[in-house]
Amino acid sequence: MTSDPFISAAGTPIVEQAVPQVRFKSEGDRLLLLLPLESEAAATSWADLWQQFKQRLNANERFWQAHTPVYLVARDRLLDGRQLQAIADALSDAQLYLKRVYTSRRQTAVAAATTGFSVEQQSPAQGFEAGKALAEPLYLETTVRSGVEVRHAGSVVVLGDVNPGSSIIADGDVLVWGALRGVAQAGAKGNLRCVIMALRLEPTQIRIADFMARAPEQPPDQYIPEVAYVALEGIRIARAADFSKDRLFPPES
Amino acid sequence: MSRIIVVTSGKGGVGKTTTTANLGMALAQRGHKVAVVDADFGLRNLDLLLGLENRIVYTAVEVLAGECRLDQALVRDKRQPNLALLPAAQNRTKDAVTPEQMKKLIGALTKAFHFILIDCPAGIEMGFQNAVVAAREAIVVTTPEVAAVRDADRVVGLLEANDIKRMYLVINRLKPAMVEKDMMMSVKDVQDILAIPLLGVVPDDEKVVVSTNRGEPLVLSTETQSLASTAFANIVRRLEGEKVPFLDLTPPPEDFLSRMRRFFGQKP
Repeated sequence: MTSDPFISAAGTPIVEQAVPQVRFKSEGDRLLLLLPLESEAAATSWADLWQQFKQRLNANERFWQAHTPVYLVARDRLLDGRQLQAIADALSDAQLYLKRVYTSRRQTAVAAATTGFSVEQQSPAQGFEAGKALAEPLYLETTVRSGVEVRHAGSVVVLGDVNPGSSIIADGDVLVWGALRGVAQAGAKGNLRCVIMALRLEPTQIRIADFMARAPEQPPDQYIPEVAYVALEGIRIARAADFSKDRLFPPES
Repeated sequence: MSRIIVVTSGKGGVGKTTTTANLGMALAQRGHKVAVVDADFGLRNLDLLLGLENRIVYTAVEVLAGECRLDQALVRDKRQPNLALLPAAQNRTKDAVTPEQMKKLIGALTKAFHFILIDCPAGIEMGFQNAVVAAREAIVVTTPEVAAVRDADRVVGLLEANDIKRMYLVINRLKPAMVEKDMMMSVKDVQDILAIPLLGVVPDDEKVVVSTNRGEPLVLSTETQSLASTAFANIVRRLEGEKVPFLDLTPPPEDFLSRMRRFFGQKP
């Protein structure tokens, strides 16, 4: 592991360019497996890609019906037959099956065809990625462990703990049903109304839009569910029970 | 079917090799055929801890090169014939072996052994990949320190990505007196973060250092029965599926005099 994405991101509170990640997206009764563009994420090696894929697969397993068809949207990524087979095998372990591969690369299309998958060359990706609106929330049922970085162009919900050494970077809100001990960033594209919520808020650092806050030196005596939001003076923390609803839905002014 | 278990930690110096040596020996004592595999190419230590250094003729690298047979490289322990060591090469680096070769090697061992314990090197690079590729279970060793737990957490994530679903936690070198005074992470603190089943807690014990230097695993010595060796023996019984209560590691109560001193607010 030569480049740790977390280290590079730690110094800068604002993320200029979100690194695209592997993600699943359900569309009707089928599932899309979206790989990041090779041109956008040149640094992501196959090993990194594979690790992200496995993490997302493990964290979402409960939601998928058995035998759901998966459409692999490989875009411009170069995949060989062995890698395609590895993806198909991992999917079938999770009771899913690889139905078709979409790619814009001729070599990937040839590899997929020789390995025995149905292929569509010509990228259908535009249809999936249109619009500037936030992506649908990313729901992760897992412990986000040290070294893992989750980036998402929408809100992120974690059912589990977010451990120190990991980071969650969301363009929307960050909700952690568990302990938030790592780094969390909400509104990464600059939205000040985004919030970070956790049952146990003891983060290394939290960031909302351009604001940043550290945990107090003295840990509190006991932890209660809390919400971090941006007020005039910067990031504020409120008890979840007291967090007034009109902060979430500010009155029109 | 034989069980292939990798002993790993991420951080160095937390006691992977000591744990491997003691668990291997304890399993062998309970009648299992055990192979311990040193996957720490270039920095091998397991042979020292087992006191088998001077009996190594061939190593895993020679087996893979076809220069000797697997059973020629295996070093049988004279004190405990159920235990065999597959040594790593000392004059090579981690890149001398590929994951595919490692898989083949471990696969060959499953024919003759019930338990295969793989001593993983520190770090998460090639050596780690080699050590975990063939394993089906993992023992994650950590000490109750922030840095060790952080690295162990990373390793748990990587093991999950490598399809190793059965993971157990061993907390090594716990100092109960320090935990009592809130100066050290407690077992619960560590478990809170790592969230994998606890296999055992090994208290800090000077006898471990002595046994390490002597090349005689703690569980082997009969004259000194220490808490640490009992802890290792319990871990082995839990690995076999037995339910064994955890050792009571609370420090012995203070004597009457120091209690009185504290009562009157004096510093001891």
